[in-house]
Parts: sequence; C-alpha cells; structure tokens
Amino acid sequence: MPVVHAAGSRPGRPDAADPVGEFFTALGRQRHVATFERESATLRFDIADGERVRRWLVIVDNGTVAVSHRNGRADAVVRMRRADAEAIVTGRINAQAAMLRGLIACQGSVGALTMFQRCLPGPPDSTGRVAPITSEQVMAERRPR
Amino acid sequence: MSDGLVQILEGNTFVVSDERGDIEASPTDSTGLFSFDTRFLSRWVLTVNGQRLNALSTDDLQYFQARFFLVPGTGTVYVDAKLSVIRLREVADGFHEEIRVLNHENAPVDLKIRIDAASDFADLFEVKDALAKKGQYQARAEGGSLVLAYRRETFGRQTWISSSEPATIDEKGLSFGITVPAHGEWMTELNVVAAGEAPADSTAGLAGPAGHGHRHRVRRDMARGLAKWIGRAPELRCDWEPLERIYRRCLTDLAALRFSTLTMPDRALPAAGLPWFMTIFGRDSIFTSLQTLPFCSELASTTLRALAERQGTRIDDFRDEDPGRIMHEVRYGELTAFEERPHSPYYGSADATPLFVVLLDEYELWTGDTRLVRDLEQAARAALNWIDEYADLQGNGYVAYQRRNATTGLENQCWKDSWESISYRNGDLPGFPRATCELQGYAYDAKVRAARLARVVWKDPVFAARLEEEAADLKRRFNRDFWVADGGYFAVALDADGRQVDSLASNVGHLLWSGIADKSKARSIAAHLLGPRLFSGWGVRTLAEGEARYNPIGYHVGAVWPFDNSFIAWGLRRYGFREEAACIADGILGAAEVFDGRLPEAFGGYARSVTRYPVRYPTACSPQAWSTGAPLLLLRVALGLEPSGDNLMVDPALPERFGRLELLDVPGRWKRVDALGRGRVDTSRLLRR
Repeated sequence: MPVVHAAGSRPGRPDAADPVGEFFTALGRQRHVATFERESATLRFDIADGERVRRWLVIVDNGTVAVSHRNGRADAVVRMRRADAEAIVTGRINAQAAMLRGLIACQGSVGALTMFQRCLPGPPDSTGRVAPITSEQVMAERRPR
Repeated sequence: MSDGLVQILEGNTFVVSDERGDIEASPTDSTGLFSFDTRFLSRWVLTVNGQRLNALSTDDLQYFQARFFLVPGTGTVYVDAKLSVIRLREVADGFHEEIRVLNHENAPVDLKIRIDAASDFADLFEVKDALAKKGQYQARAEGGSLVLAYRRETFGRQTWISSSEPATIDEKGLSFGITVPAHGEWMTELNVVAAGEAPADSTAGLAGPAGHGHRHRVRRDMARGLAKWIGRAPELRCDWEPLERIYRRCLTDLAALRFSTLTMPDRALPAAGLPWFMTIFGRDSIFTSLQTLPFCSELASTTLRALAERQGTRIDDFRDEDPGRIMHEVRYGELTAFEERPHSPYYGSADATPLFVVLLDEYELWTGDTRLVRDLEQAARAALNWIDEYADLQGNGYVAYQRRNATTGLENQCWKDSWESISYRNGDLPGFPRATCELQGYAYDAKVRAARLARVVWKDPVFAARLEEEAADLKRRFNRDFWVADGGYFAVALDADGRQVDSLASNVGHLLWSGIADKSKARSIAAHLLGPRLFSGWGVRTLAEGEARYNPIGYHVGAVWPFDNSFIAWGLRRYGFREEAACIADGILGAAEVFDGRLPEAFGGYARSVTRYPVRYPTACSPQAWSTGAPLLLLRVALGLEPSGDNLMVDPALPERFGRLELLDVPGRWKRVDALGRGRVDTSRLLRR
C-alpha cells in the first residue's frame, strides 16, 4: 500500500479532528516521558485509512521520545485501522484488549508495545472517584447470618 | 489424582481429562484443553470399533506428561482383553498424543479407531459463570488437518488437529481403518495446536496467543529442564526424612508453576496456581518470589520486571487502575478481549504496590543485583507515590481500598479477598473504603526499604530521609490508631469513619513481618498468635475463635493458610520470638507431611487434638504457588538465614524432631554458602493443642 502523508500532518502541526495525529504530536513534544525512564525501543505504527497508510515512527531512547513519519528499522511494527487507532489514543478502547481482539497486529517485540501502552490515556469517563459505602449498605446487600 | 481427573500443563496451556484420557466437557464442566484462558478442546473421545475404553491405570509421569493404559469394554466385568491401548500425552503449544494399539491375539485384527473432537472455545470466566457465546463456529478439513474455528468480529481462535498416520477427516473427528498384525502394534501421533487467527478482512493479525508460526516448533526437552531446575537449587539433608520429600515436592511443583510472559519468553515467574490460575497475579507472584528468594532468585527478578512493565499509568475506573499501581491479575480470553471483564490487566489489589517495593529491596539484599534496582527506580518511585497520592482514600494517611468497578471488580483488595473476610467482633461488615492493618505494615516496610535503596543504589539521600520520616510517622500513628487496648492486639482494619474493625485475625502476624508494630506491643501479639484463639496446633487461624464469623472451615474466617503462616513465622523471628517461629514451622511442615509434601491452599482451623489430622479445605487449585513456597520460607526462618552485606548469617532455631538439618550451597551475593543446624526447640507443648 502507498504511504501517503496528509498535508500538514508532520509533527508539530496537528490536523483538526485528527486524534491520532494530535496524540503522536503531543507525545513528541513531551520529549522526556517519565514512565519510559531507562527504556529504549523503536516502534513503527502503520495506521490504515482506507487505501492509505499513515506511518508514525516513535523512537524511545532512555526515556527520551522522538516522533516522526520516517521509515526506519523498528523493534515492533504495529498495524491497525484508523478508527481503532482513534479509539485507542483517546482511551475509548484498551490497547491490550484490542490486541487480544485482533484489532492491533504487532510484529516483532511485544515487550516494546507493552511498554508503549503505558503512555496511552485512560477512558474519558473515568474519574478515579467513587462514593463511600456504609456498613449498613454492605450488610443490607448480604443475606443475614 | 483426586476426583478422577488428570491434569498436565506447561505454562498456561493445560489439559484436564478423565482417567481414560477423554474429554467430554459441558458448558460449566472444567475438563478440556486450555491455552491463554480459552478452551480449545471440549470433546476428545477415543473409541475402538465404536466402543469406549476403560482405564487399567493412569500415570502422571511429569507435570507436563501423562500415560493412560486402556482396554476396550465398560470395565464393570473384567475379561481378559485381546487388545490394549496406550495413550501418551504431553503438553506443548496444545498437546501431542501418541496412541498405540496392541493386538494380543495370534491373528491379525481389523479395527476402526476414532477420535471425536470438538471445541466450544469457552473463556475460563464463561466456564466459571456459564455464559453464552456470541460468535460463530466452524469445522473443516484443511491440508490433512481438522480445523475447529471460532470467530467473533475480529477475534478468532482455532484448534488444528493432525495425525502422523493417514486419517479420514470429517467435521467431528478423525477415523483410522487399520489392520494390526498378530501380536503386533499400530501407532499414530496426534498433534493438537491451539492457535490464534489473522482475520482476513482487516489489516490486523493476532499478536498474542500462539500464531501459526509456533505450530512446528520443536517440543522442548522438558524433562531435562526439570532436572536442571532442581539441580540448581540448594541441596537439603535432614534427619527428619519427610522434610527431604517435602523439599523435593516443592521444587518440582515450583517448576510446574513457572510461567513465561509474551514479553519475556525466556524467563520464568511464578504463576498463582495450577491449573486455573496459571497467569500473573501481582500479589501471589510477589509473595511466592519472597518465599523462594534463598532457593531460586530468578523468579523474583522476572516478577519484578513483569510487574513493572504492566504498572498502572492512568486513571481507569473499569480496571481500578491508578498511576503507579501494581496489577492484580492479567487474562487473555474472549471476555477480556471484548472488555466484558477488566483483566487487561485488572489492578484491584491494595497490597501488591507496596509489596513490589518490599520485594525489590529483599531481592537486592540476597543477590546484590543493583542493576535491576536502578532499572526499576522509576517504577519503585511511582509505586511509593501511589501509596501517598492514590491509596489514601479515607484522607487519614492510611492505605485503603474501594473498588470503582462495582460489577466485575473485587470487593476486598487484600489477600483475604472473600466477601466476609473483614468483620467486626459482632460479625457486622464494615463499609468502604477499608484500611486493613497489614496494608499499613506493607506501606511502612516499603518506605523503610526504599529509603535504603535510595541511599545505597539511587544515591538520593534527600528522598531517603523523607521516606524514613514518613515511615516513622506512619508507625507512630498506626500504633496509636489501630491498637485495640482491651484486647492487646491491632484491629484488623479501620472502617470508612476511621473506627476500629475490632476482631482478632491472623493479619496481626504480618505486622511483625513488616516491622510496624512497636516492640512493646510485640509480646502481646506473639502470645495471641500462639494462643488458644488463633493457634490450632497446626498453624495460625485466619480469624480467632470467639469472633462472630469464626468458622474452622471458613475460607478466610477460620481456616489455616500455610502461606499466611510462613510470613507470620518470619515476623516472629524478626522480633526475636525464635521458639514461637519454630512452633509454626513444625506445625505447618507437619501438615505438609500429612498432605504428602504438597500443602493445600488452606486447611481447617479445627484444634489439632480434635481431628488428629489437618482437614483439607476443598479448592480447585493444587498446587498453589504460595502454599508451595511456604515450606521454603519456613526453612529460611527456622535456619535463621539473613543476608548481611556480602555474608549470609545463619542462626538456627529448629524444632527438636528435625535433628540435624543441612541446606547446602545457598546461592546469593556470597556465591554459595552452607547452612547447618540442629533441632533444639521443644515444640511439643504448643503442638499438643
């Protein structure tokens, strides 16, 4: 399949309504990602959008991240469809589940992809908060002794 | 094997069959070929001329290999068979089975050999909960193989069945029309491969479970691997002969429990239990790694790396994930793939995170492997940050838990994870969030140990000083807020209002292990642990007699857990209670002798004088990793093995009946050291209970 770069899609200038581009651009801007400390790996993401394939090359070097559209040797080549990629980079689909489901194909190092998942966001509706439950509520849910 | 089932496994692939080698699973029945949490065969039945076979004998040769001796007929009335059949089965990316048909007559015989095969491709969770499937099935003959396939959207799983001898293949199995010469034999090999599938209509393929590339992988020489594994461990000699058998059983079972992840295929960590829990569990893998450090430190280093790889980095309510949190359980089946279960991974455990830091330090003390400590500095710092930033759900500076996934998340996120495990004296259950006492101990220990690592390895004395200050503050508050003055012990938890959950439970033993208990309070704790309410004569009960929910055969409310006891003994030793620790070692190892070297997950909390023998608690998993590790930790405790710089200190306090005990070639940063001791502790008074 031909590799086509959408106009203005190079890192630093994200398209409107392009969550994948925004995600990779933002990742590249961070430069140092704490969760990748002491990790080094190169991943290539081939994102299929109809007939086109958009490529992102992510080089992690001891926690420092560089993102480009270059073609290069990668420890892991990760392929997915654009719609799935958008859901993953916005936290609507969990990447590990997507891999088990067959939405993501990974050639090469599964370890590199497992590492990479650490920079993906959680579900947009997750708050990290939950209302306390009283002892009376717990007891009411359980059959009497 | 008990209940007439035979199970063999390698990694997370396992086969459970009846004693004939046949599989006839129902949707809720647990026999079958399983791999990556999916059942790949639910039917596998051998017939000769349409007749089922009958087992004469069955051998579990190794944990990965079984042999079945069979004859035709129902077996109700035994007649001299003119024919016998031997099945030899070995697990490897599915399984490999050799079928031998022996003709005992003086004339050739024509036979129809048939293997019926089918698969329901059930997720392990579906087997447990009897859920209906949502995808489509297909069976076809393809290139000399019978292919059973399942597809739900892009999720595909396949079972490939082929034979070395030519077979007639239909959608329900393989048939062989054969002639066996007089006093001769016929043999075929059957190869069953559990595989993923690359869906044709997408750019994606399956990167997880065994792709087709694995199908022709040469079977490893697993028997040689097992011998090497046992050969690397220290050698044990003891006047009390059962201990040698227990030790050998533990090493063999640990070998069976070794599990490799897709990210580190050449390294092993301990899975939680065989066969249903052959996966990474944060808590179980850490506790087992701690128990086995003096014997095989590789399990600890793999566990630490694997857990760091999967450490939480985001807020995910479905998975109870927070940044820095160490995972609880990972699964690979269909329900996890479609996010109907949260195990990708699930993070609902409040103890694994501090225990991760504890293990990292203990590992370095034994091995001197500072490289791993440097590699995992960021992970350890994130874990410590989780304790302060995400675990303080009550806003009082204590680690607490409450699930955010109210449907499929875990209610109790401590090791006692059943619904009634944490209760007040009167039996009422506290609300949420809950702060159980042992979590505070682990958090304290994590800070103290991380301070050492920060000073020695990370070269960050400022961070070290801060951690030490926080630990001291936590200890001071804990001894004030958790102490049940009228009982002389620590409350099992603080409830959502900060009120004491005032029952007496085995959790107090872990407080000695972690060092959070004030010295002045330790004697009272030790007296309770070996006292009549908690100590059964075999071990420490999970909940004390006299509490409203106490039940000697209650899972976490009275049963005795060998793993629990091994850490309690370590704690007693830490505070100088040598004889008490020896009593627990004697009781639990005595139980291990009764259970033929393999300790169950738990056994009844009945007084020893009442039942004479320990009563097994019925569970599906055996061996269980942390029960397997318990005798090993008890050996360490009884011998008083403690790393001190580049030396191994040995300070034995052994039960009398052990006589002379030698543990030779204990590996560590000192290379290899021998540990010797003689049994001098009289444990008879307490064990008579």
